[in-house]
Parts: sequence; C-alpha cells; structure tokens
Amino acid sequence: MSGRARTSGRGWAGRGADYSRSDDSQVGGTFVSEEEASTSSAHGGAARLSQRCDLSAGESKSQCAVLGKGGRTRYDFPDLGINTRKTIAHVRDCKTGSSGIPVKVITNLYSLLLPREWQLYQYHVTFNPEFESRRLRLALLYSHAEFLGKAKAFDGVILFLSQKLENQVTELLTETKRGETVKITITLKSKLAPSSPVCIQFFNIIFKKVLKKLSLYQVGRHFYSPSEPVVIPQHKLTLWPGFAISISQFESRVMLSADVSHKVLCNDTVLEFMTDLYTRCDRARFTETCEKELIGLIVLTRYNNKTYRIDDINWSVKPTDTFPKRDGTDISYVDYYKQQYEVVLRDLNQPMLVSRLKNKQKDSIEPRIVHLIPELCYLTGLTSQARADYRLMKDLIQETCLNPERRQQRLSRLTDNIQRNSEARLELETWGLQLECQISLTGRIVPTEKILMQGEMCLPMSAGDWSKDMRNMKMLGVPSLDTWLIVCCNRNAEVVKNLLNCLRRVGGPMGFRIEYPKILHVQESTLAFLRALQQHVNPEVQLVMCVLPSNQKDCYDSIKKFLTLDRPVPSQCVLASTLTKPGMMMSVATKIAMQIICKLGGELWAVEIPLKSLMVIGIDVNKDALNKGSSVVGFVASTDSRITRWSSRCILQTAGTDIADCLKVCMKGAISKWLKHNQELPARIIVYRDGVGDGQLKMVVDYEVPQLFSSLTELSTNYRPKLSVVVVRKKCIARFFAEADGSLRNPPVGTVVDTEATRPEWYDFYLVSQLVHQGTVNPTHYNVVYDDSGLKPDHMQRLTYKMCHLYYNWPGKTAGKRRHSLKGRIYLIPFVGEGVWEEGDEGASSSTYI
Amino acid sequence: MVDVNLAKDECTGTIKFTPPLYKQRYQFIKDLVNKYKPKKVADLGCADCSLLWMLKFCKCIEVLAGLDICENVMKEKMHRLSPLPGDYLQPSERTLIVTLHHGSVAQKDPCMLGFDLITCIELIEHLEATELEKFPEVVFGFMAPAMVVISTPNSEFNPLLPGVTLFRHPDHKFEWNQAQFQSWALDAASCYDYTVEFTGLGAPPPGTEDVGFCTQIAVFRRKYPNTGETINLEKSTENPYRTIFKAVYPSLKDEKYLQNVVVSEVINTAQIITRRLLDSFKSEYKEHRNGPVEMKPDFQLPHCFMRHSRNPSLAEAEKLADDRNMETYVSGNAVYIPLIKFFSIPKVNKLCGTFENLSKLITGKVALSNDGSAVVISIEHEERENE
Repeated sequence: MSGRARTSGRGWAGRGADYSRSDDSQVGGTFVSEEEASTSSAHGGAARLSQRCDLSAGESKSQCAVLGKGGRTRYDFPDLGINTRKTIAHVRDCKTGSSGIPVKVITNLYSLLLPREWQLYQYHVTFNPEFESRRLRLALLYSHAEFLGKAKAFDGVILFLSQKLENQVTELLTETKRGETVKITITLKSKLAPSSPVCIQFFNIIFKKVLKKLSLYQVGRHFYSPSEPVVIPQHKLTLWPGFAISISQFESRVMLSADVSHKVLCNDTVLEFMTDLYTRCDRARFTETCEKELIGLIVLTRYNNKTYRIDDINWSVKPTDTFPKRDGTDISYVDYYKQQYEVVLRDLNQPMLVSRLKNKQKDSIEPRIVHLIPELCYLTGLTSQARADYRLMKDLIQETCLNPERRQQRLSRLTDNIQRNSEARLELETWGLQLECQISLTGRIVPTEKILMQGEMCLPMSAGDWSKDMRNMKMLGVPSLDTWLIVCCNRNAEVVKNLLNCLRRVGGPMGFRIEYPKILHVQESTLAFLRALQQHVNPEVQLVMCVLPSNQKDCYDSIKKFLTLDRPVPSQCVLASTLTKPGMMMSVATKIAMQIICKLGGELWAVEIPLKSLMVIGIDVNKDALNKGSSVVGFVASTDSRITRWSSRCILQTAGTDIADCLKVCMKGAISKWLKHNQELPARIIVYRDGVGDGQLKMVVDYEVPQLFSSLTELSTNYRPKLSVVVVRKKCIARFFAEADGSLRNPPVGTVVDTEATRPEWYDFYLVSQLVHQGTVNPTHYNVVYDDSGLKPDHMQRLTYKMCHLYYNWPGKTAGKRRHSLKGRIYLIPFVGEGVWEEGDEGASSSTYI
Repeated sequence: MVDVNLAKDECTGTIKFTPPLYKQRYQFIKDLVNKYKPKKVADLGCADCSLLWMLKFCKCIEVLAGLDICENVMKEKMHRLSPLPGDYLQPSERTLIVTLHHGSVAQKDPCMLGFDLITCIELIEHLEATELEKFPEVVFGFMAPAMVVISTPNSEFNPLLPGVTLFRHPDHKFEWNQAQFQSWALDAASCYDYTVEFTGLGAPPPGTEDVGFCTQIAVFRRKYPNTGETINLEKSTENPYRTIFKAVYPSLKDEKYLQNVVVSEVINTAQIITRRLLDSFKSEYKEHRNGPVEMKPDFQLPHCFMRHSRNPSLAEAEKLADDRNMETYVSGNAVYIPLIKFFSIPKVNKLCGTFENLSKLITGKVALSNDGSAVVISIEHEERENE
C-alpha cells in the first residue's frame, strides 16, 4: 500500500546487488579529483547557459570551464532572460502601485559600481600550431600579460577582458621553451553589457571567488564559515554560519543580494547515526527505518569537498568488497581509502550509501552510481527524526533565527570583510568592480483590510493579527456539529472532558453549536485507535477527533490515511500534550473550533472582494520527499464569489508525466463546480501558482499557462474569462527592514515593494503579509507572468493582499498566497507528500475538508 | 604496497609502467614518510602540488611546505591543500600547516629550515647550470634536513623509451646516466656530511638489466644531529621566497575546537546516563504496577555491522554506573552527575589531561552544580515528553 515502489523492486537483503556490472564500473569514475569534477560540473551548467544565451555549445562550454574552476558551480540564474512583462500590455510602461502610506525600506541589496560604459569583452583564442595542454596554452597567452592587462580570465579557448584590445583580431607571436614559434590569434567575439546574462554569470563567479578569499567554504549553493562553528552539543549538531549571495539585474541596476544562511551538520558520521538508530528502534524493522530516515538526505564526505544525496542504501556491499578503478584494476574500498587518504575503516561490515550522480553528458543514459562509506560521511540538514524533536528545533531556532538587527550586523560584517580584505578587494578592483552601499527604497503600506463576520465587520487594530478584534463575533457560515466521535486513550479521559467544555464555551460566541460526541476510550496503540475507528465510523459521522498520546508520526499517518482513503470523513487530530498546557486551553480550543468549522465546510470570515464573478485558484507542486522525480500537485479553487468556499484536489504525479496535463483536469473540474454553485461561468480567474523551482519559470510560462488557457477555451467556444497567472515564491533571497526608533524592525504587515528590488523584465512585486515575533520576516515574491485582466498593478497587489487573509487556521495574515492553505496546504499536501501515497479520491477531497 | 608491473607491448615495443611511474615515485615518498614519520616535510619543485596533496593525509606530518619557481602551476590546484569541511567537523589531534612558497632552489630562505624530510622529485634536471651549482649548498648546507630524496631520469634507459630523442621533456637541461648521478650525489653527501643510498623505480625489461632503473633515486641522510638550525638562522635574515598560500588546519590543539569536542562528549555522556537512570526508574514503576515486564526476544540483525561501532563512551558510562564512589543522584528536577565521572572516560581524560582543565573547558558551556563538582541535567523536559 504505502510501500515504496523502489523498495519492492530492489529489496535490501540479498537482492541489493542488482546494479548491473556496467553501473559498478562507474564507481571508479566517482573518485575523480576535485578539479575534474569541477570542470565537468561546469560543463553541465554551461550546456544550460548556452541554451539561454545563444552561444554556440563549444564556446560556452569552455568558457564556463574556466570560470567555474575550483569548486562546484551551480547556476542560480536559470530564470534569466524570460521576459514576461513585455507580453502584458498594461504594465509595459509602469508596473507600480500607488495606494497606501509610503515607508522607507532598507534592503539586503548592494549596488555594484561599475565604471561608465563598462563592458566585458569576450575573445576567442586560437593557437598555431595547436596544443592540447591547457596549461601550456595558458602559459603561452599569459606570457603576453602586459599586453592583455590585469583583468583577464582565460580557460584555454575563451578570454574575457575588461578592456578592449586595439584591434578586432590580434596576432601574437611567442616562443616555447623548445624554441618553437607559436602564433596566437585573439578574435573579438562579443561585447557584453553588465546586464547581459553571460556577464551576470561572470559577476557571480567573481563574487564566489571573493567569498572563497574570505575563507568561506561552498557547501551546496551557499558559503559557510566552518572555522566559526556554533555547536549544539545536546543534539550533536554543528551550525556553520554563512551567506547566500547572488548578483542579478534588478529594476534599474546590477546588484548583489546577500542573506544569512546556516548549514546544519551532524557531528556524528552516518555510521554513528545508524548505530544509534539501531539501539533505539525496532530491530526487525531496522533496515526499513534506516532507509526511511536517510534516503533523500545530503551527506558531506570526510575526504573531499563534495556533497551527495543518499538515494539508496546497499546492505549487501561491504567495505571489503572490490570495485574496478579507472585503470581497470580491482581494489577493495578499505584498501582504496587507506591508499588514497590514509583512512583506516573501523567497521568492515557497514553497508554502502548509494548516490546517483547527475548525468554530465546528456547522451549517456546510464546513471553514474557512487558508493559511499557511512563511516566517512556526515549528515547535513535535519533528519525527520530531528525535525520532530521540538526541543531540538527550539534550540536550533534560537541560533538561526536572526532578528533584523542581528541579520543586518552579519551582512555588514560580510560587506566590510569584502571591502577590507585586500585579496578580495583586489579581485573586484581588477575588473573595475566596486561594492557600494546598501540600497534603501520606498515601499508602501497598503490599507488594512476589513474582516467581514456574520452581520458585522471589524477593522483589525493590527493588520497581522485580528484574533482579539473578532472576539465575540459570529463566524460567517457555521454548520452545527451534531454527530461526532472523539477517540482517546484511557489516561487522557480527563483532558478530553476539559477540551470538550472549552470547545463548547468558545463555540457559543462564534455561533458554532457543538453537541456532545460519542467518546471512545482505547488502549495506547495505533492499532487500538484504528480498530475503534473501523467499528464506529459510519456515513452519519460528521467528524472524528483523535487525541493522540504522543507525537508519533506513524500513528498520525495511519489514522489520517484511514480517514482519508478507507473511510473518508473529516478528522481532527490533537496531541494530548497541547491540551495540558495550563492557561492555554481557551486559545487552543478556539483554534481547534475554527479548524473544525473549516473542515465541516463552514466559512469563518471574508474580506471585501470588489470584483464580481472572480474565481481564485491556488496550485502548489511539491516534490515527493522519497520518490525522486515524482511530485504532489495540490489544487484548490474557490466556488463562490465571496471567496470563502473552496474545492480542493490533490494528485500524485509520477515522474515523467506532465504537471500541466493534470492541471487541465483539475481546472475543468473546478470550473464545473463553480458553474454548479453559481449557474454561470466565472468572468475572471486568478491563478496563484506556488512551488515553481529554480529554472522552472520558463516551463510555467511556455507550457502551463497555455494549457490552462486551452482548458478554458475547450469548455465553450466563446468563453474567454479574464485570466491572470501569478507565480508565488515564499523563499526568496530578498529581505526588507524598516527603521524605527533607531533600530531595524520587520516592516509592517501590508508593506508592498514594487520598485528597485524587482526585476525589469517581470511584472512582479513583494508583499509582507505576515506578522513574525521572532526573526526576520520573509517577504513573498509575486510574479505576474500572464495577465489579460487589465487590473491596475495597485488592484492586483491589493487583491493579492486580500487573499492572504483567507487562511483560516490562523486569524492573521500568512506568508504567501495561502487561500488554498485553508485545507489544501497545511494538511493535505504535506500529508500526501510525505506519508500517504494513493491519489486522493476526488469525492473525498471535493468538499472543504482534508 | 602497490604491485609494480612492467608491460612491453610486443607490436610497438612501447614500455608501459603500471601504475605509471610518476605515481610510483609519489608512492615511494609516501612509503618513506610512513616508515620514518617525519613531522616537517617540504617538496621542492612541487609543481601542481600532487605530492603535497597525497602527503597531507599522512598523520605524522605537522608542517608541509612546497616551493616552486612557477607560481601559476602551483596556483592551479593549490585549493586542494585547503582543509576540507570534514576537517572542521572532526578536527584532528595533530596540527597541520601547509604553506606554498614561490621561489628558486638556488636561494636561501629561513622558512625552509628545520625540516625532517625534503623531497626533490624530478627537479634537478630542470635546473640551469648556475642553479645546479648552488643547489647542494642550499639544500644540504643551508636547509640541512635530516633526510633528502632526489630523483632524476636515468639517461641510459632512454633508448628503451619510444620517441625520446634527446631528453624526456623539452624543459630538461640535462639527463644523467647512473655514473654521473651517483658521482654528483656522492660528492654532495661527503661535502655536507650526509650518507647516501641509491635506488630507483621502473625496472628495465629482462635482458637489459644493466641500463638500471628508469628513474634513479638517491636517499640522503644527515650524519650529524639536528643542531644547525640556530646557526643557519643567523646566517640569513633575508626572505627571498614569497608565500602564496597558507592553510592552518583545525586541530584539537586549538582550544576553540578542543572545547567543542569536550563539551559535546560530556553532554552526550550525561544524557545517556540520565536516560538510563530515568528508564530504570520507569521500569521499576511499571513492574510495581503491572507485574513483571514481558521480555521481548531480541531480533537478529541481518548484518551485524554494528558490532565494532558501539559507542565507547556508552560502555564507559555503564561501567562507571557501578562505581559506588562516583554516585549520580537526583535532586529536585535535575540529575547530578559528578564531574570526576566524566574525567575517568578515557577519551575525555586524554583530551583534557588534567581535571582542572576539564573543569575549565566546560565551565560556562555545561550546566554545573553550585560548587562546580557535578554536571546538572534538567529532567523536566524528559518527563513532559513522556506525558
């Protein structure tokens, strides 16, 4: 049922060896030295670059080989060159709004000062006679160092200069040590403006070099300082403070954006982790548990500077087994590590971690497999076990959650270091670059929205939290809860009685009538819970509440799975421990009551929607945690013009199939539901699309949008609703601070930024839609990639802001377009994404519960 | 040890060494290092730092230096000599400093003094006559390490190598036969009070034994004890070399890292002891309530890979739990574990050296009782967790 397809096909016992011989032979290839690896990975990136920059493959390949030298180079700007703004007529000239109170916003952007008319000159270099050796080519060209000037980057074929040579084609003569005369021909290929994609990439590489000069290490995408570790010994964790940086062309200039990042690492090796797990878990299920915990995690090896994703564990290969080296000879893992790194493996019975490397060459179909020794690997990031440990998370947040003031201090330290470190500064100065001051801009705080309740309306005192304001107000539409069940353990009977009292007390003012439920007392085991559910859940039951004795994910998953798939009924799980916090009962009960109302298909509150016949759709695509390649698509659509009622669907998308096809199906379903409720088709549709990863924007623009469009026109020939598609990004590098009383604060909820920090080629804006008490708020980035609604930017921004109010779990605004979070996001998607596998049955998910 | 093979392709007459000769030369040095355990090693003419990279993994070495006349070649791959992220995660007990210098072997720089081993792999044949002339004085007279290894091509072998007309490499200024190399080496040895032994790599094919090894090697050893350093220091105060790279590896000798390790060890052990204590309370309680607890049969693990890797500190803690002199006690909402208990864990003992040092290292990082004699672990959370 929920078993992973992979596991069944492979098995860990004796059958683990079904990697073909040819795969095994790839193992040797994994021990390439760092240089080779970096070059080849640069090639990988180069291939992508060439698609976007219209360079010939050969050129761009070699170009990046130079520039990407010394470390893995990932390309953080695959979405370069997608110009959607020019296709949206009404924002071509102006995409900024005007409503609201202006507010000064300090950003994490730093302008890059370039000399006037600065250009990067790209040359092609040939040698006659030709030389294979890159080193020799470098030496020959660099013997003309004075002629070329200081600022040069050369990889053997492509030469970048910051100054133009006198002639289009230059010929130089050099003599080798052997006395041979070599003719070097340098031909100008192109002049690149600072905003050109190649140049932006070039800047990024320069800055990566700069960060390396500051003794920062690249791990994955970001840069960290391992020499200043923060150790959390009680959880065996180490944090490396660091930075995420990138250079981009922003609205009016090229800027560096920098944010603080932390790398979480386990002090233990993977082997120690496994050993520890072994002592703690059910031994019969050890291998299964172990795979569940480890697969998908990223490890760092002890002997090189690379990270690998664990794709599998091979229990049948041992360190004493051999693999063929590249020279064809066989060597055991133990001997290999001894010879190569003087590492003596202590445990000769440990299994092997298996990692599939990304294909460097497009034409090679066979995946390259690496076997890694657990004893020599460290886990990075957090295991699900660690994530579930609230004490660990609390301690972690303590260290990583920086308020604006502290964040700003760290950023200033970085920029100071860049300016002070002579080598780093030299690297920039050589190219005529200079890091300038931090950018501040003017944002706008849009007016606070009115919250519509039943028969009355409230204007929240604080835009981010109106729980106080709506006290004693009736919810918009509330069904009564007449037939329901509570399942709990014997020892929680008292707690449940208390909860029930509180629920009824808070329910009254909300207008929520709660009858006494049938209470089932069971043993403290998952099985007992399921048995009780099996016996007592029938179609009459409106809701099942389970009071769980402990925070065991298994238990929660099994119950949810049963009540989603086997016996679909709305359910509410509550952890017993949350019900024992004294003084918190009423607020806990209020939140539970509101969640129950939602799950019963009720409506809590609304905001004023000035547009008639507007349908709002939320789409989120999450990658499946375990099954690489497949993803979970969540789709919610409003069914009334007040935008308080929703229908939702969730589809598991297997690898290789098309998300757009699945969206089409969902779209048609959503429209027909709207038609049923409203007796007419929606005149306007706004789609908020979340879960667009790096480099996927093009796919969304070129493929998904037309598909969505065609699904509408297929409904009826003359049906042309006004459509807007907005790509939502909750995780963006941008940070905004507001100044108050001489210190930096989070900007107020409702702050909109649509200048400077945005991109010229997009119709985009940032919105701060959440109130945070700890740390720095993450603004959400909205990129309108398609819009024929003719709505003014101001209206688009306000409408988006209104949507942020409609997340019913929390009476406050939320990060991002959460209209569908209501049930979709928080419950449905992570649940399907990690636990239950079967496709949600449409019947079950169509009403507004999970 | 690596098997050394010589294969002769019958058709072309090409001689191929497996592993390649350059690898054999590096392995030769590595074996030498593993045998004599030098602490300070320098490679003259280090080129792309491949040998240095191999040597940085040798645990006896604390100082590693490279010197080359060509800065670009060194810079090409020098990042490989930087510490790895893993080195920071589990800092090693030894210290290691790797430095690269740009300069000539014909110049004296005090940074090359006091070394235990200096290697010159395929270096001397690249030297101009004037440089070669100064070389023995610089290496044996000035640097005067305990051991010097010099390798160079054997010109007598060249006729067996296809395509070699004059020299094996265009930049070679000369290539010596066995007699030439040995006489040069013997002269240098006697002049500077060293002994010398000759060996080589790449044995000639059967029937041509008298041409000697493809690569000839001389291993020099200083006859007098290491006293020359101070004298040499006075001799030269100039620094003609330019340092282009320096990496200081994280080490437990650095208190910052030592403290992290000791604190982690103490907290982990304390948590294990606390958990065991609470478990034993709980099972007593259960027994009292439900009668004897049913013992579950232990499942056999399909592969007993855990055998070797049991947490040593756990075993220690178990052993110590029996020790009546170091009693752990519970008071209020906390477990008090005497500090002396941690000091008797071999790993902690070794890291700290003295009890005072242990106490100093963990103060402020670990919750201690008022008198500082015990580690305090709050059990409030544990209990709530079990609610």
